[in-house]
Amino acid sequence: MLKMTDVSKIYRTDTVETHALREFSLTVDEGEFVSVTGPSGSGKTTFLNIAGLLEEMTSGTYELDGRDISKLNDRERSRVRNEKIGFIFQSFNLIPELNIFDNVDVPLRYRGLNAAERKRRIEESLDMVGLASRLKHQPAQLSGGQQQRVAIARALAGEPRFLLADEPTGNLDTHMADSVLDLLSEINSNGVTIIMVTHELTLADRAKRNIFVRDGQVTDAAPEFLRAANG
Amino acid sequence: MEFGPIWRALLRNKGGAILIALQIAVTMAIMVNSIAIMQERATNMQRPSGMDEANTLTFASISFAADADLRATYINDLEMLRNTPGVINAVGTNSFPLRGGGWSMGLQTEPGEDMGGVGAAIYFGDEHMIETFDVELIDGENFSPEQVVFLDPDNFRWEPYVIVTEALAKTLFPDEEGSVVGKTAYINQNDPVQIIGVIDQLQAPWQGWDDVEHALFSPVKRAEGFARYVVRTEPGMRDELLPQLEEMLASADKTRLIRGAQTFDEVREGAYLGDSAMIKILGFVITLLTIITGLGIVGLASFNVSRRTRQIGIRRALGATKPAIMRYFMLENFMISSVGVIVGGALAIGLNIFMVETFALTPMAWWVVPVAMIILWLVGQAAVAGPARRATRIAPSIATRSG
Ligand SMILES: Nc1ncnc2c1ncn2[C@@H]1O[C@H](COP(=O)(O)OP(=O)(O)O)[C@@H](O)[C@H]1O
Ligand SMILES: [Mg+2]
Repeated sequence: MLKMTDVSKIYRTDTVETHALREFSLTVDEGEFVSVTGPSGSGKTTFLNIAGLLEEMTSGTYELDGRDISKLNDRERSRVRNEKIGFIFQSFNLIPELNIFDNVDVPLRYRGLNAAERKRRIEESLDMVGLASRLKHQPAQLSGGQQQRVAIARALAGEPRFLLADEPTGNLDTHMADSVLDLLSEINSNGVTIIMVTHELTLADRAKRNIFVRDGQVTDAAPEFLRAANG
Repeated sequence: MEFGPIWRALLRNKGGAILIALQIAVTMAIMVNSIAIMQERATNMQRPSGMDEANTLTFASISFAADADLRATYINDLEMLRNTPGVINAVGTNSFPLRGGGWSMGLQTEPGEDMGGVGAAIYFGDEHMIETFDVELIDGENFSPEQVVFLDPDNFRWEPYVIVTEALAKTLFPDEEGSVVGKTAYINQNDPVQIIGVIDQLQAPWQGWDDVEHALFSPVKRAEGFARYVVRTEPGMRDELLPQLEEMLASADKTRLIRGAQTFDEVREGAYLGDSAMIKILGFVITLLTIITGLGIVGLASFNVSRRTRQIGIRRALGATKPAIMRYFMLENFMISSVGVIVGGALAIGLNIFMVETFALTPMAWWVVPVAMIILWLVGQAAVAGPARRATRIAPSIATRSG
């Protein structure tokens, strides 16, 4: 399903080289709900960006759905993002100039679906996150939790196989975070593979499998600091 | 296409867009009317004078001796000119097309005062006028040598024969279906003149005059202190002959000066100096305005790209290809430009109507508005292309990396 082997990512600036990922290997099977935890700067977002085709890796191999990602050009990568992957970001990333309906519509238009089909999907996915009555609202008129639910609806409307979430509850209070996690669990139970980056172990525990990242590599077990933080 | 969301997003952030649309509209209004004026001037400049301009030259003879025999000089001058190899014909006249100065009189079909005349330019000359001016006699006859007389300044009267342009004939006798040859018109209210010939086309000396095609020949030779000669040469001989003829006349009679030697190209250039300057100035103004508008569009688009850096990254993350990002900005600009050119089209037409009524401008050609629209659309698309291409280079990872 998702298979990374010896993936490395090096950021080069004029003066520094940062090895954000080194020989990073991971396999995620269809239907899994995987959490990725690790200290700040350990490479979690980098991993997610490469997994979601938002960035290119420096070396290694990455297969998604049986396809060798390194061979895709920019247009094909855009298409994979559009059709197979749903993104949920820490800062929601709704487009402020568009109302809720148009926001959820964005990836559907890039897919070239017809208007009736788009409308059906938008209403269905907003219904699922409980915001069907807010179609004409602007993002700024919603609470953080509501905005994140719109973002989830936007990710779901494309009916993706994968949902990639980077600290999806980082900007939410505990109560809202819980409801978002409930939603993700529900989505996962419908067969969508979810990979969620978080640094909060309590949330990570809601996933079926936990991955720990340290210095750009997957480590076998939760390191000391996490266990300590988790009590 | 994604017209709907782009339009709605535009409405939520319309300050800059409205200013640019307004700028496009004003540019359009000025452009359209400048083109209309330029076009009118250019059309005027292209009208034929009726003469063989490429092979015609002119100069004046100014006699200053008190006892000079002016008629003898006149006859002798023309004799010499006509006998010079390479000269087709020559004539002494008071004026010629594009000269800017000359005589005009009112013509009417009934004698008497208050009859309402038709203005016509008067060219005095002999039976050589038709060949020298290279006009075609389409009806009637040329003057016979007997009909041509020397003008007596102390006892002026109108000679009873005229040759008129077809345009003048049509204006004088609008209902005449047959020939106007033999008909009588009245000049100076009561002096009868008979039309003995009709020529195809010849302009009056004033190219800006509404009745510029109204001209007539009167069979009069004027041998006064100031004589103006027009010479038509064989093709290609003009430039060579001009100094030669000038020198020939000057040395034949030392009591006068040859002045104002010009080829007809120079006459035309001088006549339309103002118009060609106007065309250049207006062309410069609309080019400048268009460039300024283009730069304004570049500025707004650059600002929008920077302002939307984050959402462009998000769109890329959600599956937008680079061409899709490009298209977004091109479409957005197309919408702003369309508002601009539609408002501008209305402004332009309003301004044109005003100018037609106020300054008697010819109403503009139908194609000016659509052409200006297309120009401004293209300028907009060209201007937005750079910033839009920059937008396509924004990385999708912006979505997870910033804020
Ligand atoms: N665009 C970049 N350029 C240079 N260094 C980067 C860039 N993005 C991330 N890094 C570095 O890579 C490392 C991993 O970052 P990241 O994957 O964001 O960590 P995490 O998400 O676990 O906090 C960090 O040291 C970070 O500073
Ligand atoms: Mg991170």
